[in-house]
Amino acid sequence: MRPTWRLLGALVLGAVIYLYGATSEVAWLFLFGLLLWAAALAMLGYTRWNSRGVAASIRLLAVESSPHSPSPDLPESAFRDAPLPAPVFEGDTVELELALTVTGGSARGPARLATDIGGRQLAAGSGLVPAAGWRRVERLEPVRRGSLAASGVTLDTGDPLGFFRHRRRSADQRLAVVLPLFSSLATSVQVRELESAFTAVRPGHGNDLYGVREYRAGDPLRRIHWRTSARRGELVVREFEPPGLRIVGLLLDPTPATPEAADQVARLAASEAWDCLRSGGRVVAWCPGREATRLDESRSLWSILEWLALYPDLPVDPSGPPRVMDAIAFLTRPGGPALDALQDMQSRGAGARAWLVGEGELEVPYQAVGTEWPL
Amino acid sequence: MKLLPRSPIEDSGVARAFAFGTFAVGCLAIAVYGQTYLAPAGTLLVAAPGYIYSHRHRHDPPDRIRQAVIAGLVFACLAYFVFDSVLALFGGNLPQANFVMLLVAVTSFELRTRRNLYSTMWMSLALLYLAAVFAWDVAFAPIVLAWLLCLGGFWTASHLKRIGAPRFQVPRVPLAAALVAAVALGGGAFVLLPQPSARPAGPLIVSLPTYVSFRGELENPALPLVEFGADPSGSTANINLRYRGRLGDQVVMYVRTGAPGYWRGLVFDSYQKGIWTATHSEGQTFRAYVDARQLPPPQGPQLGSFVQVYRIVQPMPGVIYAAAPVESIYYPAAEIRRDYYGDWRAPAPHAAGTTYSVVSALPDYTPGSLKKLAGQDPSPAVYPQYYDTGSLSERARALARQLTAGIDPADRYELVMALTRKLGSEPYRYSQNLSRVPPGQDPIDWFLFDAKVGYCEQFATAETLLLRSLGVPARLVTGYSTGEYNPTLDQSVVRARDAHAWVEAYFPGHGWVPVDPSPGFDPLAATRFPNRWATSGLARLIPHLTIGAPGAALGSLGALALGPGLAALLIVLVAASGWLWTRRRRLVRSRSPGEFQLLRLYERIQRRLRRRRGPAETPSEYEHAIVAGELAELLSDVTAAVNRGAYAERWPSPADMEELTARLS
Repeated sequence: MRPTWRLLGALVLGAVIYLYGATSEVAWLFLFGLLLWAAALAMLGYTRWNSRGVAASIRLLAVESSPHSPSPDLPESAFRDAPLPAPVFEGDTVELELALTVTGGSARGPARLATDIGGRQLAAGSGLVPAAGWRRVERLEPVRRGSLAASGVTLDTGDPLGFFRHRRRSADQRLAVVLPLFSSLATSVQVRELESAFTAVRPGHGNDLYGVREYRAGDPLRRIHWRTSARRGELVVREFEPPGLRIVGLLLDPTPATPEAADQVARLAASEAWDCLRSGGRVVAWCPGREATRLDESRSLWSILEWLALYPDLPVDPSGPPRVMDAIAFLTRPGGPALDALQDMQSRGAGARAWLVGEGELEVPYQAVGTEWPL
Repeated sequence: MKLLPRSPIEDSGVARAFAFGTFAVGCLAIAVYGQTYLAPAGTLLVAAPGYIYSHRHRHDPPDRIRQAVIAGLVFACLAYFVFDSVLALFGGNLPQANFVMLLVAVTSFELRTRRNLYSTMWMSLALLYLAAVFAWDVAFAPIVLAWLLCLGGFWTASHLKRIGAPRFQVPRVPLAAALVAAVALGGGAFVLLPQPSARPAGPLIVSLPTYVSFRGELENPALPLVEFGADPSGSTANINLRYRGRLGDQVVMYVRTGAPGYWRGLVFDSYQKGIWTATHSEGQTFRAYVDARQLPPPQGPQLGSFVQVYRIVQPMPGVIYAAAPVESIYYPAAEIRRDYYGDWRAPAPHAAGTTYSVVSALPDYTPGSLKKLAGQDPSPAVYPQYYDTGSLSERARALARQLTAGIDPADRYELVMALTRKLGSEPYRYSQNLSRVPPGQDPIDWFLFDAKVGYCEQFATAETLLLRSLGVPARLVTGYSTGEYNPTLDQSVVRARDAHAWVEAYFPGHGWVPVDPSPGFDPLAATRFPNRWATSGLARLIPHLTIGAPGAALGSLGALALGPGLAALLIVLVAASGWLWTRRRRLVRSRSPGEFQLLRLYERIQRRLRRRRGPAETPSEYEHAIVAGELAELLSDVTAAVNRGAYAERWPSPADMEELTARLS
């Protein structure tokens, strides 16, 4: 809790008036000065009481889709594991709720909540925070791709006269992840895509060995890998790839030339991922030097989109590129570690092509685009 | 560190309303206590639409024509101020207050910035101050509160605007409780705490001097105690003990003073056949304000200075009453005159509402000080009037010797006090119901030996002549006694019946010392600073406050008067300490030693890192989010210990805690 300049002014005013009373024998001036000082003392107690009973919270209330948002085109089943209350895409308008709540059952105030969300300063205050709480809705439009976090959250409480201020800082809070826009890059929709799109494909029923995992009830006994089970001390089963299952690796440029280029890279990657998942495939996204998406999330559109939303600010991971059958590189300049990884995969027999956001020439099949969306 | 944004107070209509409220309270105070009604009402009626206009047009670009008109009106206000204060063209009643009110009314149409709003409030504070000078009853306290409430409302509106609050709303009950506590605390301190008296820079200049000067010789007005002569003004040059008018309860003046004293008016030094006169009528003329450099320094040791502000209620002869000796004086006239005896005269009779102020010295007239004499008495050859007993009878002279028998004549203090006390006690009684002096009989002999009942002139005259017969220079002084003195409000209410006469006896090294032989009055009529600890608030319970009575009764407590206050303070301190200690012990007992120390250490680390862990933030999240620098390793260990304790109930031992704590320092 800190005093403000106004407190100093009030105390000085009281002192001057008190001194004037001492030199002029006008007793009322003593009363005036003493009342000012007493008010300062009373406000100190008020601030302590007020600061203990008020809490703040920020949450995402609603999302209003932009005209280019892919949400309307997604099947309903896609929203089963979508972020709540709704996925937020680039260009959407979000409604945020800034709330002040009280503890103890009695109204408090004044209080002010300030935060920085998406590069925009938001602040809301009230002289009275009722016992039922106080809320204010702010609209943020349009939002950019990336983490929508409330940073620098401060709750200022004090007394009504503004003599004291109590500031409480809260940890940064992630409100949502703004996902990249995407759309299908395929010329027509395959019948097989419709059948396999987001159907519950049982894993491990193909011909290619995919991996091993722990035994689950219902797994056929013939799939048990006894040697690995003996080594681990627990039952382990073999898992095979279903026939025709694609695993596409998305290789993204770790150092995009511009933020607009990075956004376009994310959109293109999201679109390629969407096409692959719709056809029943899996997607692994990777950025040289950064942490890749997890294999167990390779079927999750939202996990991949969330990874792409945070690109290129991803956790550091020196691991190499994933083992995939097809690889698509997304570049913002000719060359770079992503292109090197693509060419390396190509040399090992994986399918390889690239998208280039900007100008240049590549030695792999590529398509050059600008930063406009839709393409 | 982000500061709150600058307050857009100019956009707050509520704040402007409160600023207007301060002005309205100031006008009300001036109207009630300054007894001037036209200017407050008129300026309020003008300022109200001015405030509304200013608020509605606050974002308009500056209008040069309007600003020029307002500047012209400001100069017109200044012209009014000059003409009214110097020539009294508009009555001359509080011209400075009228000037301030006019200024606020004129500038109310151009209140654009916060500085303008604050200027208006400080001008209304000046009005409140002027009214406070004239506020003679406790009804002024609500006015002070009202003004402070308006100021508080302005600050609140400013603060709420600054934090972005959409409406002027605050929690009513908690705020009311806080304000009540503030009023109780401030009011209690006002009543109980001593009010210090700092050395005043000079008298208060409340009313500005009028263009009134002396015309001709010095007039020597008389006092209401004396004969009602044929002169319509009631002024005579003498006091005739044979006559007396009845004095009533009407208030003649209010005196705001830091110390109760006698308000000295005129000195008379020659007594012949029942009539007192002043032998010297010459004087020195001064301007309205006389500072200490223009006056001779007071004689003898001094205890300090104090300010008196006099407000004359009824028309009176132009004698300027003041506690002697005077250090500086201000009277609203072109010139004033100091007579031979150090008394002050105005060029015209006092009009009702006249206000003047005086700074007086407070001589050390304590017994111990008066017993130390230095220098010589005035020479009888040069000042024979101070030794002239007139027609005092031999019987009276013998009485004087009898009353002071056994006292060393060189002990001036004991000699004077003995005579004063003897006259002020049985068989002599004080009464204003007196029969006429039998024709042909000396008034003093009749008083001393036959009637033994009299009022102040009889006692003062008798003592003056008896002291002179003992070789002590003495003279008679008239004026007013203290009146009803309130030490909390620093004011005296002086009524007609407080008109009084007393004696001044000469003490070498101290000058003319006032003594009062009238029964019921303190024999040593010296001004004293009141014992505020004992008398603040309590003295109001004592009726008929007179000089010396409460001081003697309550001031005799001396240092013991501090006892109750100190005891209360001690109890509060002990209770607070006990509560804090008990609370801490309860806190420590509810936790294991290691837990308490670990959490304290964790707090210290957060303070050192200047960021506290958020309510929804786990210790691990805090550790990853913070940049701990050289404390990173310690923070990591402490975080691990906190997690172990919180989740596994395994708190570190005191020895582990010692090691961790040592790493922090």
